[in-house]
Amino acid sequence: MLLGAGFKNVYSMEGGIRAWDGMVAHGVPEAGMAYFSPAADAEEIVGLAWALEEGSKFFYQGVSEHFSHDKEAQEMFSWLVSAEKSHEKHLLETYEKLAGKQPDFVKLRSKFSNSLDGSVMEGGIPVKEALDWAKDKGISESLELAIALEVNAYDLYVKMSRAIEDKQAKLIFEKLSEEEQVHLQKLAKLLDARL
Amino acid sequence: MGVLNFFKTIPSMSADETKRFISAKHPDEYNLVDVRQPGEYEGDHIPGANLIPMAELKDRLAEIDPEKPTIVY
Repeated sequence: MLLGAGFKNVYSMEGGIRAWDGMVAHGVPEAGMAYFSPAADAEEIVGLAWALEEGSKFFYQGVSEHFSHDKEAQEMFSWLVSAEKSHEKHLLETYEKLAGKQPDFVKLRSKFSNSLDGSVMEGGIPVKEALDWAKDKGISESLELAIALEVNAYDLYVKMSRAIEDKQAKLIFEKLSEEEQVHLQKLAKLLDARL
Repeated sequence: MGVLNFFKTIPSMSADETKRFISAKHPDEYNLVDVRQPGEYEGDHIPGANLIPMAELKDRLAEIDPEKPTIVY
């Protein structure tokens, strides 16, 4: 059908999803998209995406405190906290390059007061709920949860970058998906090293 | 669609080749289309894949860029 419609390079993945042993995302196609739907422009999207990074940062911070007796684990989760900080920084830098100014957080807070406090992390999960779950779990399980949530975030950012028409917002989502991909590779390496 | 299209063979990519292809490219450079049913997609899908069930493909072709390489599963 695709060949008949003028598509030039079409490939079928042998074995379908059963043959795929890479990371998988879960959820309906529009999962997570509603979070960004109140945003009218790139600045508002940056504000909301920044808040998710902030939530993930609080999550890793909280998990690192669960492992106060394990220096190596604590260092690993502290590194993840710093990775989220650097995501936030890159996100703001990307916006500044595009728009020539920093996002106006005072304005954003007046519109999204409840969404900008970092209470929800990437993947759309409330931080408190994730920390309660992780409280009595081991390092690998906490990392697995982090990977599952970040894979869903990557999935969302790629789909948003394709779906959104605003060019600046599209670039923001592309940048977010690139960063998420790098972050996921690092998380997967950490998990491999622990298994 | 001409009848000859039914006899065209679609090239395939192994899952490993797909993984390498995806990781080497920017998501904007290709189409990744999941043609299974919504319930299957919800259970698990390759991150970044767009769901267009096979039965809807004909009517939703405008959602895919014909100039980009397209991987379907």
